[in-house]
Amino acid sequence: NQEDSVSLLPLSPAVYALNKTNFYKARRLPFSRKIGISKEEALEALQVVRQECHGDATRTAGGSGTTRKCTALELLEEEQAQGFIITFCSALDNILGGGVQLTKITEICGAPGVGKTQLCMQLAVDVQIPECFGGVAGEAVFIDTEGSFMVDRVVEIATACVQHCQLIAETHQEEDNLKALETFSLESILSHIYYFRCRDYIELLAQVYLLPDFLSEHSKVRLVVVDGIAFPFRHDFEDLSLRTRLLNGLAQQLIIIANDHKSAVILTNQMTTRIGQSQSTLVPALGESWGHAATVLKMWARKVLTNGTFENLFQTVKFVFYIVSQCSNLRLRSLLSIP
Amino acid sequence: MDWDQFDLNPKVVAALKKADIKSIKEILNLSGADLQRLMKLSSADIQCLLKTVSHTLRRNSMITALQLYQDKDHLTSQHQKLSLGCSVLDTLLKGGIPLVGITELAGESSAGKTQISLQLCLCVQYPYRYGGLESGAVYICTEDVFPSKRLQQLIDQQHKLRADVPAEIIRKIKFGNSIFVEHAADLDTFHNCITKRISLLLTRGMVRLVVIDSIAALFRCEFGVSDSVTKARYLQTFGAQLHSLSTRFRTPIMCINQVTDAVSESEAAQCSCSVVGNRVCSALGITWANQLLMRLMVSRVPQPAPSSGVASHPTGSVRTLRVVFAPHLPPSSCCYTVKLEGVKGIK
Repeated sequence: NQEDSVSLLPLSPAVYALNKTNFYKARRLPFSRKIGISKEEALEALQVVRQECHGDATRTAGGSGTTRKCTALELLEEEQAQGFIITFCSALDNILGGGVQLTKITEICGAPGVGKTQLCMQLAVDVQIPECFGGVAGEAVFIDTEGSFMVDRVVEIATACVQHCQLIAETHQEEDNLKALETFSLESILSHIYYFRCRDYIELLAQVYLLPDFLSEHSKVRLVVVDGIAFPFRHDFEDLSLRTRLLNGLAQQLIIIANDHKSAVILTNQMTTRIGQSQSTLVPALGESWGHAATVLKMWARKVLTNGTFENLFQTVKFVFYIVSQCSNLRLRSLLSIP
Repeated sequence: MDWDQFDLNPKVVAALKKADIKSIKEILNLSGADLQRLMKLSSADIQCLLKTVSHTLRRNSMITALQLYQDKDHLTSQHQKLSLGCSVLDTLLKGGIPLVGITELAGESSAGKTQISLQLCLCVQYPYRYGGLESGAVYICTEDVFPSKRLQQLIDQQHKLRADVPAEIIRKIKFGNSIFVEHAADLDTFHNCITKRISLLLTRGMVRLVVIDSIAALFRCEFGVSDSVTKARYLQTFGAQLHSLSTRFRTPIMCINQVTDAVSESEAAQCSCSVVGNRVCSALGITWANQLLMRLMVSRVPQPAPSSGVASHPTGSVRTLRVVFAPHLPPSSCCYTVKLEGVKGIK
């Protein structure tokens, strides 16, 4: 049965996306009677396409292909060689272990107002930093579920980032740096942040289904932000098992996207109160099972008390770009350890 | 749902009809495996179906940040904000209140929350070029009686507050006619108000501002300590409904909130208040705070005078407006006074 043999083809979403036209042809051949070819011809065409797909997959960076075999050591080495998105805020980069890691999902939890959206906006700019300045020269996808993406703030951040790079270029006077600055401007940064507004969880689910194709068409994207993942799922869900299943599905898709497109995925999550026996504590929202669904580095952005004043982790980040825009010195206070 | 109009394989369309699937939402709610089982199709077919319906839902949904920045059309632009009627306060907020999202105004009693809200109800009625939205406002009172006498005073003095607007324009606006007052003292009435009355006013384009004075009063008496889960659910539902209305109609929602004393360290840390001895934080906790775009705090304790050159007002009448958090503003504050003609910032 031809239909069975096609459905048994282990075509991962990545391969599907990488060879969209070929795949569509392959999809249509056995099932569309309009073309009018024999089943044998269809199967032969599929074999050819399949070989092409595998060839393409191994050639394209990050394409996982379907029958690639490798050892665990190779995987580990590959993982350690992945790039980082630097933030130009050394305290933050240190805590993250070098920056925001590509091919991984990072979840940022925090109380309202602590700076989660700020960090996401900054990363959407920082991912575009040219390679000669230590960046990954990528582009960004920003999926906004809360409507908190304020473009005026992104303009401030982008302007500060360009100025910071200009400062480095002036100090070191290297040709690479000066050349890179020709194309690294406010307009170019803004034009490479692809913004999607999702007003409910259905729109979010649909958008994530379409992401692999979008990322194939925009292969320079190295960052996908979902700000926030909790908001559309925290009301109107009487059926909590449906919610858990949908969230797990989302997480799985995002893991595949992060890996196949060599991108960092950032999700922001809310905090909620867990009422214990003697006291209540703040924990990330969306329940226990969400925490295990993705390979996640949890950053707990909490307000910490230092020297009699209240600060939080991201206060430093905000502080940084206000400083960057005013002077050339980048000095950051060291922070207390984050649990 | 007419599946025939979608770009789908006829076999898939037949399977959808046979499985009695009536909407895109139903499809997206099901997992790939469930869909396979329900429609008896292969996983590749299902993938194709999911992409096709997703594409229908999200056609043309991408916009670059550059396009957002360059959009100057007052109907869609992010630059458009609701002015507070005072240039000093507008500068603090970089233009005014954002049009999409819930803004909270918290503070002790008689700090000036109602004054600012009344002023907004008048500002919204001005033309776009003067920072308004050319529409009315709905004011929901949950505890006190609506201060109609004070509103009338403010209306009479608009020409004095808004010296930037030509007098003929001010004279033409019938301020009183476009402010709709609702009373909702309990949760059920409030729920009805949002879902019926306010929806109607917004759909008809009669209002472009919703003020709720105050959100905390609705929850004060009705919930005991053990009801915190129910309370959280109400807060989330209301928050989501208000948020959805705000997004659909590009209408700012201004919620007035009370403050409570910050008793524990963690609460104090959350209110980001650096003035010792003034540890107050907004009521209703983190569940409500998660719904907000922006939180503003007003207080009667004045900031220490930055320099001796600052013109001194009688300390009693000086208030402080502080940005506690906002995605586009640094933590900042400014002083203001409440005069006969309204609220005016002090440089």
